[in-house]
Amino acid sequence: MSVARELWTGVALDDQIQAASSNPVILDGQALAVWRGEEGPVRVWEDRCPHRGMRLSFGFVRGETLRCIYHGWTYATDGQCLAIPAHPTLAPPKTICASTYPSETRYGIVWTKLDGGSNGAALPDLGPDEGWEPVRSLFVHAAASPVLEALLNCDLGQQGPVHMVAENAAEVEIGPELRVLVAVHAMDDERTALHAVARGPRAASERAGLARRLERLRDDIERA
Amino acid sequence: MTVTTDPVALNQWVPCAWDGQIPVGGSLDTMIFGQPIHVQRTGEDSYRVAAVDGTTERELPVQVRYTCVFTTLGDTPRPLPEIAEFDEADRRITGCGNVGVNTSPYRLVENFLDMAHFAFIHTDVLGALDQTEVLAYRTEHRKEVDEIWAIDCTFYQPAASKAATGGQLTRYVYRVMSPFSVMLYKNVVTDPSRNDAICVFIQPKRETECLAYMPMAIVDEVSTVGDLIDFQQSIFLQDRVILENQRPALLPLDPTSELPTRADASSIAYRRWLKAMDIRFGILEKQAA
Ligand code: FES
Ligand SMILES: [Fe+2]
Repeated sequence: MSVARELWTGVALDDQIQAASSNPVILDGQALAVWRGEEGPVRVWEDRCPHRGMRLSFGFVRGETLRCIYHGWTYATDGQCLAIPAHPTLAPPKTICASTYPSETRYGIVWTKLDGGSNGAALPDLGPDEGWEPVRSLFVHAAASPVLEALLNCDLGQQGPVHMVAENAAEVEIGPELRVLVAVHAMDDERTALHAVARGPRAASERAGLARRLERLRDDIERA
Repeated sequence: MTVTTDPVALNQWVPCAWDGQIPVGGSLDTMIFGQPIHVQRTGEDSYRVAAVDGTTERELPVQVRYTCVFTTLGDTPRPLPEIAEFDEADRRITGCGNVGVNTSPYRLVENFLDMAHFAFIHTDVLGALDQTEVLAYRTEHRKEVDEIWAIDCTFYQPAASKAATGGQLTRYVYRVMSPFSVMLYKNVVTDPSRNDAICVFIQPKRETECLAYMPMAIVDEVSTVGDLIDFQQSIFLQDRVILENQRPALLPLDPTSELPTRADASSIAYRRWLKAMDIRFGILEKQAA
């Protein structure tokens, strides 16, 4: 699968992106900085400072701003540059702006798409946002298409059929009380990440078991 | 990568070893501009350098200066710069070895020219987080020598050198001597009438793979050579983390792809100069598809 640029892709579990942190993520070969202010939602930006190209995933967070580590240029949540420390009295021109991607947090997963327009499919809809628990993220040394195929045929135990809720996300019902959502995240042609969340009364107690089954799935794919 | 065909890059002298790196009678295999070379130390002060292609060797010119062994692949190379401080009798001359950096040579030169990062990357040594301002300075293209200079630079430094005992307003003059070499003159803590001279000569092995050599001619009667080298290397290692995480590693010359500000006047002048000389090696827009 080559990720369509208009496709929403789950790129991290929301609870893994700590407050006041900036983190590197690769999506379809593109380097992204996934960051969160001291409060507030996760943002997804190009991992490149407009000034001299430093990775913004090395940046540090102050309040709801991201500061580049190299020369301290400070960016607001919309990407606009607010301060250039080399010239403390200068108001940065509006043209200095980090490039941002749309991001949404739903079902405990952070979703983004590389094409910022409103083209393409909507986010997967599995009902209300509440009640989803993180299971785990894991990284597979394989392209996304064999991973998706293996996921469709996987055995997470006592399960109903696997349905695709988007081109790159699958839902599995395990008994009446446990639903699992797995987002498939193509990093590049050789690496794929899976981000899994679960919902239902048994979600918390089954977490470790589900994580182990997903690890087994990864091992099977990597052996194939 | 294959050997570059860029005549501008080929016609530069670049370091390929530091003097003393190879024992007499010994040799070293390395690379410049994608070309494998063989550096032999044939005597105390003599070296032989050859380009190696399979089993054939082509002898290359050699010069030993500024603690480095230089060679070139070109027939009409731009001469090595004159740096008078290396001839002053009371100077501490040291080479600091070399450090590998995975980026294009130009990113290294720009980092060396850049005062705006001192407070953030060399915090409490070359800069302080509460004094980040870069005051206006001037840049010049000195046509007689075809070099880029930045003059009247000043920056507040908490511990400007090994010899410093407190903060000072340091005066700098920067000098870009070739696409792959740059130096600075920085006022001496103990004697305001003199300048320390610190150079960076870059050995571009491939477009985004370099070795940096940092010869210095320092006025400091107290510190040992070991101390001077440790200081310089600790600074350089802080820069290396940055240099290897700038994207793209190749230098963009299109003025809209990265957005400079006044503090970057020297980098702007350097890029303009590179563009005018039509250098292609390691330049983003000059990549053959
Ligand atoms: S590269 Fe980000 S502030 Fe300079
Ligand atoms: Fe530096």
